[in-house]
Amino acid sequence: MKDNQNVIDLKEISTIYEGEKIPVIKNINLQVKTGEFISIIGPNGAGKTTLLESINGLLDFQKGKAFVFGKKIDRNKTAIRKHIGYVIQNFELDPLAPFLCKDIVMSGRTGKIGLLRFPTKKDWEIVWQSMSLVGMIDFAKRPIGKLSGGEFQKIILARALAQQPRILLLDEPLSNLDISSKKQIETLLNRIHEKYKITIVMVSHDLTNVPANCNRIIVLDKGQIIMDDNKKKILKSENIEQIFKNDENRRI
Amino acid sequence: MNSIPWMFLLPSIFGAVLAGFACSAMGNFVVRMNLSSIGYCMSHAAFAGAAFGLLITVDPMLTAVLFAIITALVLGPIAEKARLENNIVIGFMFSFMIALAFIFLYAKPGEAATGKALSILWGSLFSVDFNDVILLSVLSFILLLFIIIFYKELLSVMFNRKMAESSGVNTRIFYFAVLFFTGFAVALSLKIVGGLLVFALIINPTSTSYQFFYDFKKIMIFSPVFGILSCLVGFYFSWIYDFPIGASIVIVSALLFAISIILSPKRKKGKRKQKK
Repeated sequence: MKDNQNVIDLKEISTIYEGEKIPVIKNINLQVKTGEFISIIGPNGAGKTTLLESINGLLDFQKGKAFVFGKKIDRNKTAIRKHIGYVIQNFELDPLAPFLCKDIVMSGRTGKIGLLRFPTKKDWEIVWQSMSLVGMIDFAKRPIGKLSGGEFQKIILARALAQQPRILLLDEPLSNLDISSKKQIETLLNRIHEKYKITIVMVSHDLTNVPANCNRIIVLDKGQIIMDDNKKKILKSENIEQIFKNDENRRI
Repeated sequence: MNSIPWMFLLPSIFGAVLAGFACSAMGNFVVRMNLSSIGYCMSHAAFAGAAFGLLITVDPMLTAVLFAIITALVLGPIAEKARLENNIVIGFMFSFMIALAFIFLYAKPGEAATGKALSILWGSLFSVDFNDVILLSVLSFILLLFIIIFYKELLSVMFNRKMAESSGVNTRIFYFAVLFFTGFAVALSLKIVGGLLVFALIINPTSTSYQFFYDFKKIMIFSPVFGILSCLVGFYFSWIYDFPIGASIVIVSALLFAISIILSPKRKKGKRKQKK
């Protein structure tokens, strides 16, 4: 595949949840080039996670056509996912969960290693590299349930990196973190983008959580893309403030 | 104390060890994947199946296996598709299966009170024959292979199904495989432990093992150890004091769990942290 080709290409995508009549995302057109770092922002309930999970095929879309790496998503889900790292939104983890950090990071490679094969020395080397990159190598043998929010997020990021993905999908990777952890993860994302030239699509509901390397912002509201431009233009736009103000009013 | 020579007990001893292994090996997944309600239903489905076997005068073991497997094959997709709460699955399937079992036993009044029928409920020390041991050995061997070969996939699914799916694992196959093998393990252990108690043999050893380790590999190794230990000690008490075998095994496994809670290093660490 050529470098300038769209690594993600969504054409008129609409996704409806089971039992619902109104699509969560409507007529989405999104083209992402190799190596881009984009942020999808929007208020709560705008359909950000739905859009992200339509890209890696975790959610089926009902209308439109979608391609990742030039392949149809709906027909190549499992194959495509092996090259897409996904960091899901913070989930509650049982503090007694019986998993060591190194095993969780290795679990990112499960699909890539493939069925009926065992992890090799090389696979473990990739795991150690990913853990070192996020600064968590000393936590290899620690139980995952004992980590703080920021540490946990780094391990989940290392898990996605161990997959050696071509695309990294991040769902609110900075939410529920304290300021210093937010900064650390942000720096990490910039470093990963520079070092590996991975295409990164990051979802956030907070305008202040846009990493420095992110050059394009997509604003999603009520399931539709209402703005798609470079970071500076979007952040200066008056509309954007209005959207987030409306969201605050809705919540009040 | 019974006066039967030990030689005659060999199939029962092997049966107990293998049932302990098979049930507790599957317990690792059932507990972690939050499938306890589904497995619980399966043990009662196996019980209903055995009762059905008595009714139509077919080997109860065969019908128990059939019922458990059919339940595994039907329940998985239903629970997944309808996104039912665990409590609803328990309430619906448990009562449905017990009702079926009672109707089958009632339909054959002569059989209902016989030792054969009761042994399905309580388990029996002497009902295990050579064929049962062969079947349990084959199942245990297949389970061992399944766990070793697909360990990385199973671990990935057990940490988080969605994340496993997102990194290219077909989680549905493993979800159904766990249900399928649990159905088998329950059905084949039914004769020894009994339909009403067999599920404790799935939950208790794993829960005991959980108290000691954070490493899933160690839990995977030690829960069958606790399962086999429960079965052997339970078997011994049943033999010495003439206790019902199923109850004896379950009480030993429950005691092991109680002791593990007291000795658990996980809890001690927690207390120390709280003091700080």
